[in-house]
Amino acid sequence: MDELEFLKKDWKKQDGNYPKLSFEQLYQMILKKSSSIVRWIFIISVLEFVFWTILTLCLADQEYWKEMEKIHLKGFTIALYLVGYVITFYFIFKFYKNYRKITATDSASVLMENILNTRKTVKYYIGYILISTGFTFLVYTYFTFKYHIANMKVKNSSLYEFDLNQWLIFIGAFLVFMLVFLGVIWLFYKLLYGILLNRLHKNYKELKRLEIEN
Amino acid sequence: MDKELEHQFVSNLEMHQNIVHKICRIYTNDQASHNDLFQEITIQLWKAYPKFRGEAKFSTWMYRVALNTAITLYRKKKRSIQTQDYDTVHFRIQAQEYDPQEEQQLKLMYNAVKELNDIDKALVFLYLEDKNYKEISDTLGISEVNARVKMNRVKTKLKKILNP
Repeated sequence: MDELEFLKKDWKKQDGNYPKLSFEQLYQMILKKSSSIVRWIFIISVLEFVFWTILTLCLADQEYWKEMEKIHLKGFTIALYLVGYVITFYFIFKFYKNYRKITATDSASVLMENILNTRKTVKYYIGYILISTGFTFLVYTYFTFKYHIANMKVKNSSLYEFDLNQWLIFIGAFLVFMLVFLGVIWLFYKLLYGILLNRLHKNYKELKRLEIEN
Repeated sequence: MDKELEHQFVSNLEMHQNIVHKICRIYTNDQASHNDLFQEITIQLWKAYPKFRGEAKFSTWMYRVALNTAITLYRKKKRSIQTQDYDTVHFRIQAQEYDPQEEQQLKLMYNAVKELNDIDKALVFLYLEDKNYKEISDTLGISEVNARVKMNRVKTKLKKILNP
């Protein structure tokens, strides 16, 4: 006999052997809080949005704005902040929309896709933050060098200028610093979401593998 | 949510709780994990209940939500103690006819199912529950053809595990 048929026969015989929980016991269960991965993803994502927003707000104190004025980037920074907020709101809106779509009444593959899409929105947001931070850092560095010397009113400005070698060292050090910085963040996310989403990724791939093969 | 809805839901769940126990049996290896998964499935069913419009049978709807919880939503907790014989001790104690050879074969079968991946377990579970390929494909969100192909592969896998 087919192995599964053999198992099915026994499986059916055991219908009466399962524990029977009372109405009261089941009622107590619906009052408890979920510990599902979706709940965790929601909490972590909200924390990420809050963390990065607060970070950009905290960095911009009065000193910071004065400094921006000195290097002629105040207008640029204000514009950057405005654009930044519009983009952040867009991401939060998209995240919320995707999150609302997650429902256990969908089929397994649709449910998995919705969870991964929600997660992806936050991933893109972090990507955007990193790229825009890198970009503004470069612009600020350039303008600081350009105007700082003028602001300091040094007599022999050539003493404060970099020659080619120094520029190369500077750019090299900057790249190494950026790589280490990105590496640490990448590792952090790999670990965090590796733990949380590893199983989901595996199962999703397993489901989708069938679609691709046929 | 109002009391009437709660009452209606818990009564339905009480009546069909076997489905949840059976899924827990397939997906967990010890009593504590069984209870944990049962708890999470109950919460997910309750959360999804307002979306249950009665188009399908309550039990059919339950299969989907409960399986989704076991495969995707549930976060497994690491446990140091694993009761190896949980499955056989817990569920076979009331078996009336006892045939040692058949018993041994069944034990091997159940252990083989435990070795399958989450998706294959879902296929086996739905098969054991007499679901047809249409229902299997709807629950998992794959085509009927793929459900069939996959089921055949699961059968081959089980054969391989049993006869290495």
